[in-house]
Amino acid sequence: MTFDSNPYRKDFPILAREVHGKPLVYLDNANTSQKPQVVIDAVDRFYRETNANVARAVHSLGEAATSAYEGARDKLARFINAPTRDEVIFTSGTTQAINTVAYSYALPRLQPGDEILVTTMEHHANIVPWQLVAARTGAKVIAAPITPDGELIVEEFVARLTPRVKLAGVTHVSNVLGTVNPVRELAKACRTRGIPLLVDGSQAAPHLPIDVQALGCDFYALTGHKLFGPTGTGILWARKDLLAEMPPFFGGGEMIRTVSFDGTTFADAPHKFEAGTPNIAGFVGLGAAVDYVNGVGFEAIGARERDLLAYATAALESVPGLRLFGRAKEKAAVLSFLIDGVHAHDLATLLDHEGVAVRSGHHCAHPLMQFYGVPATARASLAFYNVREEVDALVAAIAKVRKLLG
Amino acid sequence: MNPLYAPLVLEHYRQPRGRGALPRCTHAADGVNPLCGDALRIELRCEDGRVAEFAFSGESCAITTATASMLGELVRGATPAELDALAQRFAQLIEGADEDAAFGPLNAMRALQHHAARRKCALLPWATLRAALAGLPTISTETEHA
Repeated sequence: MTFDSNPYRKDFPILAREVHGKPLVYLDNANTSQKPQVVIDAVDRFYRETNANVARAVHSLGEAATSAYEGARDKLARFINAPTRDEVIFTSGTTQAINTVAYSYALPRLQPGDEILVTTMEHHANIVPWQLVAARTGAKVIAAPITPDGELIVEEFVARLTPRVKLAGVTHVSNVLGTVNPVRELAKACRTRGIPLLVDGSQAAPHLPIDVQALGCDFYALTGHKLFGPTGTGILWARKDLLAEMPPFFGGGEMIRTVSFDGTTFADAPHKFEAGTPNIAGFVGLGAAVDYVNGVGFEAIGARERDLLAYATAALESVPGLRLFGRAKEKAAVLSFLIDGVHAHDLATLLDHEGVAVRSGHHCAHPLMQFYGVPATARASLAFYNVREEVDALVAAIAKVRKLLG
Repeated sequence: MNPLYAPLVLEHYRQPRGRGALPRCTHAADGVNPLCGDALRIELRCEDGRVAEFAFSGESCAITTATASMLGELVRGATPAELDALAQRFAQLIEGADEDAAFGPLNAMRALQHHAARRKCALLPWATLRAALAGLPTISTETEHA
């Protein structure tokens, strides 16, 4: 098997390894992406040459570390077209970003009877934080339905935007179905009703150019490790006026202006929300990941992924007894499926033996699994560094599994 | 192919023994593995403090199904205390303990030592069995500390 047709593969050292004596076919990118050498080098170089704490040390290393860390913020701000870098808060990932909004924005505002609107296709990270703050306030979380093809029913979403709704949350791209949601349209509907909209961009960031100003949303969360960066990194972008109204989520060092036992005043955003020593090397790595993605370009990424999605969809549809979940017109390269008579976990374990890495399970989306009436699915999620031959390897391995278990 | 899916395991998966219901069961429990959504029901008929009959039903993966099928062959005539002790030894077996004659075909599950993420698939039938014997109507692999 040769994968030379894709010039980007050589940038990702792990893709050259074997699993169970077979070439690794990594199709679990929606779970976490692999890291290019430039990201690995950036983290390595930071620890070898620059390591110091940020925003406190006045020595040379401290200055260099702060500059590298804040430089990453500039890169992320440009990456999502934030109007200002001060609106970009570094978090440990999307989960912390959404929890920050839940506890610092929603919790102080929610009243009994209020509602938080999400959709059936959300990841638990965009459901559970809202349920936690709803339970404390007597508010409730409601969901807008989707079609069997896995598209959000926009009219149903808009119909639920009543005055009771104090905040709406929607995933930009579904981690299970690949559906790309019409965020601009949803944001417009929210805006005209004065309801802030949070967008979970975890799955969008590796696939689509993000422009928070054009989207018109109020909060945008994304995670670094799905964007070819280190784990434990992510951002929350929020409009400046909203951040100014929000109390800190965590308290500690680096987020204060003055502290006394009579009271403490806080730094402005973003530092107000970054208590404690952050994952400095991680964000330096994330900055390198953003540089790398910009270098490849979303035009090339999109073209490769569209080709792979079309090829993989046709290939999987040719497998007897295979049921594909998610047929949205606007769709990222994520394919969830089940095969008659084969449990998703058996499939994933047996595919692994052929070197093929896919995810199996509920994908942190229980409500979506309930909607489809299945306990679990298998999911192949592709990145621009994947190639058609890997899809062929997946299909060949599925045939072996069917023979074994069918 | 993967040793976890040895011919004996596949045979029990394809033709599970004891699949079905017991019309006159004395003990029953429903077990779930919330990590994968699998659900298993075990029904038992005990006589004189020993398991006389075993049946299981539900939707589950090959590993859970084969384990339940093999377990059914093992439990007949055993007391709850004996099965508790066996459950503890089984938990060690799937982490790589030496083959144990008491387990017969269930020794195939030793291959789970290389599949930590799948161990709960084999623990679900055991947890459900122990719940049934203990009089618990439901059990989850996430709350059971077998």
